[in-house]
Amino acid sequence: MLDGLARPGRGRIVKNRLKVLRAERDWSQQDLAQRLEVSRQSVNAIETGRYDPSLPLAFRIAALFDMPIEAIFTPD
Amino acid sequence: MTAEVAGRTGRSRWFWAGLMFASFGAIAALRITDAIGKSTGFILLACTMLLIIPLTRAGLAHQRTTGRLSPAVVRYTRRFTVASLGYMLGLGIAITLSQRMELSGAGAFAIALLPVLPIFAMIWTMARYLIEEDDEFLRHRATMASLFGLGLVLAAGSFWGFLETFGVVPHIDAWWTFPVWAIGMGIAQCWMGWRDRAGAES
Repeated sequence: MLDGLARPGRGRIVKNRLKVLRAERDWSQQDLAQRLEVSRQSVNAIETGRYDPSLPLAFRIAALFDMPIEAIFTPD
Repeated sequence: MTAEVAGRTGRSRWFWAGLMFASFGAIAALRITDAIGKSTGFILLACTMLLIIPLTRAGLAHQRTTGRLSPAVVRYTRRFTVASLGYMLGLGIAITLSQRMELSGAGAFAIALLPVLPIFAMIWTMARYLIEEDDEFLRHRATMASLFGLGLVLAAGSFWGFLETFGVVPHIDAWWTFPVWAIGMGIAQCWMGWRDRAGAES
């Protein structure tokens, strides 16, 4: 059950290319976190699929990489 | 000295937490064996509670190094530390007064408020954190942890209540609800923190 608390809403997984996009720019998780003004834990949780960002944060991520949201986040 | 440097060179939060719980254990053992009196025990407990200050500082330094420290976390930690010290003081005064005088009516109501007001402050602190935390993931984690704590209180309280009704277990005072909630919240935060570390970048 604790597992479910850490990642609720199982079965509605959204995949993302955050790790690849970050690696292409040679950014660490901390670098990306600072650019997005979130914690490194947030970046880590999003990258590993344990947390799906809200729409406002998804828009910020898309704006940072200068890409449309659907090019970064895709339904599983 | 920056907090990062302090976090690297100072003692870890585990050291201070261990020292605090070891002190609580030693004081409890001394009280149980009647090696110290009630007043001495309370004074020692109050002194031990001061360890929450270096524990808090070490915890903040650790959170800063792991990137989990937001301004809301800093405010939450400071408020919770002050409320914890207030709780210890209120509890000590309330216990001392209850042992030395017969409490009833408005007096009992007022004295009961002494440890409860800091608990209200802790609950308010938690609510303020959820309002002030800008990082949605940290806010989400805190919400899930408090929900787990609430679930533990409701489950344990309901089960214990029926066991008590059937005469299987002794009576437990209702003020245990807050510590049980806090324990549940701590368990959930530890678990989610462990999951974070397990999934952290290599």
